[in-house]
Amino acid sequence: MNENVEKKYIIFGIGNSGRQDDGLGWAFLDLLNKNEFKKASFEYKYQLQIEDAELICNYNTVIFVDASKNELIKGYNFYTCKSSNKHSFSTHALLPETILYLSEHLYDHKPKAYILEIQGYEWELKSGLTKTASENLNKAIEFFNQKTFLKHIKTEHDKSHK
Amino acid sequence: MKKLVIDPVTRVEGHGKVTIHLDENNKVKDSFFHIVEFRGFERFIQGHPYWEAPVLVQRLCGICPVSHHLAAAKAIDQIVGINPEDLSLPAQKIRKLLHFGQVFQSHALHFFYLASPDLLFGVNADPAKRNVAEVAIEHLDLAKKGILMRKFGQEIIKTIAGKRIHGISAVPGGVHKKITLQDRDYFLNSKDIPSIDAMINWSKEIIEFLKGYHDLNKKWLNEFAKYPSGHLGLVNKENGFLELYDGNLRALDADGEVILNDIPSDDYIQYFNEGVEKWSYLKFPYLKDLGKDKGWNRVGPLARLNVCNGIETPFAEEERIIFKLSTNGKINNKTMYSHWARLIEMLYCAEMMKKLLNDEDILSNDLVRKGERRSEGIGIIEAPRGTLIHHYEVDNRDRITRCNLIVSTTHNNEPMNQAVKWVANNVISGEPKITEGMLNQVEVAIRAYDPCLSCATHALGQMPLHVTLIDHNGEHIDERKR
Repeated sequence: MNENVEKKYIIFGIGNSGRQDDGLGWAFLDLLNKNEFKKASFEYKYQLQIEDAELICNYNTVIFVDASKNELIKGYNFYTCKSSNKHSFSTHALLPETILYLSEHLYDHKPKAYILEIQGYEWELKSGLTKTASENLNKAIEFFNQKTFLKHIKTEHDKSHK
Repeated sequence: MKKLVIDPVTRVEGHGKVTIHLDENNKVKDSFFHIVEFRGFERFIQGHPYWEAPVLVQRLCGICPVSHHLAAAKAIDQIVGINPEDLSLPAQKIRKLLHFGQVFQSHALHFFYLASPDLLFGVNADPAKRNVAEVAIEHLDLAKKGILMRKFGQEIIKTIAGKRIHGISAVPGGVHKKITLQDRDYFLNSKDIPSIDAMINWSKEIIEFLKGYHDLNKKWLNEFAKYPSGHLGLVNKENGFLELYDGNLRALDADGEVILNDIPSDDYIQYFNEGVEKWSYLKFPYLKDLGKDKGWNRVGPLARLNVCNGIETPFAEEERIIFKLSTNGKINNKTMYSHWARLIEMLYCAEMMKKLLNDEDILSNDLVRKGERRSEGIGIIEAPRGTLIHHYEVDNRDRITRCNLIVSTTHNNEPMNQAVKWVANNVISGEPKITEGMLNQVEVAIRAYDPCLSCATHALGQMPLHVTLIDHNGEHIDERKR
């Protein structure tokens, strides 16, 4: 058996560390790695691609972590990702919702899925996060480490099964 | 005058928008495909040690980082005194295997995700229908094969480069690791993933499907976005065959006459110039002898099949001959034939991967060569979307002092503009109303080139498609978002 199958969670860090705050997704995984977070498999992704629909079939829970241009009150936002056939034209990348949709329709697999968006501010060709984005990253990590997210997952899961 | 704007063609591959200028009678006055993102990568890389280039340039693109990695590596080889033919055979073959894996997965992605919805459902289909999610529902087997083919190429990349994106394989003068027997068997024995033989068979099946599609839709495919152009690509130095990793540059004009006769890739600077336009950040390369207006060329699968004398693998060569017969052996200027050409190349890559996976050289430890240090290096390869040029100069402290990149989509800048003009003149002009189907056709014309307008940030919260209609007074009279 693939060792990934034994892990329940997979966390996708999406972004590009060479584009300032677009590196938030990868930086999130870097911090989890540094803290020796062993509960999940990590995938560093530049973009989500069609084969990720197959990859998530090995997991019960999927978390997509990405930089966001949205104005977020806490600097981050964690919410349930729902399957959708949303798509974009002329692009090679897929949305998290579409990955779930494809997994459901191609492989009959419906994992629990969440999106953690972290607000970023600068997107130029440069390494390193901006100060405010780093602060948002730390808040998101704190949320994650306090296991608040696990509680959130349980609550959402309970809600969806009522 | 009305101005129709399709903006952006998404930020993932960079900002791009289409403007079609209409007069009071809805006749097309002019049209432009704008690239409005300025990457500044050439400046960014200045001052970095030369050996960092193959790693840094991968940030240019999340779709074809391997192509940038290898083009930069070929240039850096020259800086350490190694010409392409001086690399050890194992290093050459491992790099080629990596490259074929990259082109294979990129072509699979384009066909299954971007092209097949247009072809299966028709360009006038509702956008809600014309997407990969619907392909997954209505053509389950095709969608699953597409995923596995893409995955196969990605696994080749991961095996050789360590990661699917931004991995490291090439080092100055060679590659940093060999392929193990276990690695090789993974691709040959069908235990964990479908084998390379399955990839060859599926590639052949998909070509059959597309040929059937051509039979049914010949008129449209023959006419849509057809326009005369030059065609540019690398060809094998010995026999003029299709070449993706290292060869001479050849260009033909719209009638098939040779306009660039197998020049060594290191001499490209003598033959090419790059023009600029105030409405686009993307440059317009052209052949100096012919000038800016006549010297531009298409690059990519269609151009490569036009310029080559043949293909060295048997199945792909068989398909190339059928492809050539479709135009009675003449040069092909039909944009929509790019999809067919792309699939023939996919088959070629699969056959080449099989050949290389069965080659004992890839298991060898003879990986790196050294030569006499130089101050300049040029690396040219055929990336999935076409000819890719990396050119570096370094100082005596090993720092990059100058960098010039001509990426495939830059070559295709003018061809994409021509394709948009064709749609504007033949589909939109004179119509009283701009329909969804018309907008789709603009996209279909651009999409045939599989443009990668330079990968940028993507970040959540982006609107992928934004359409604005502006009248002759500059007023926004319509706006659509997808």
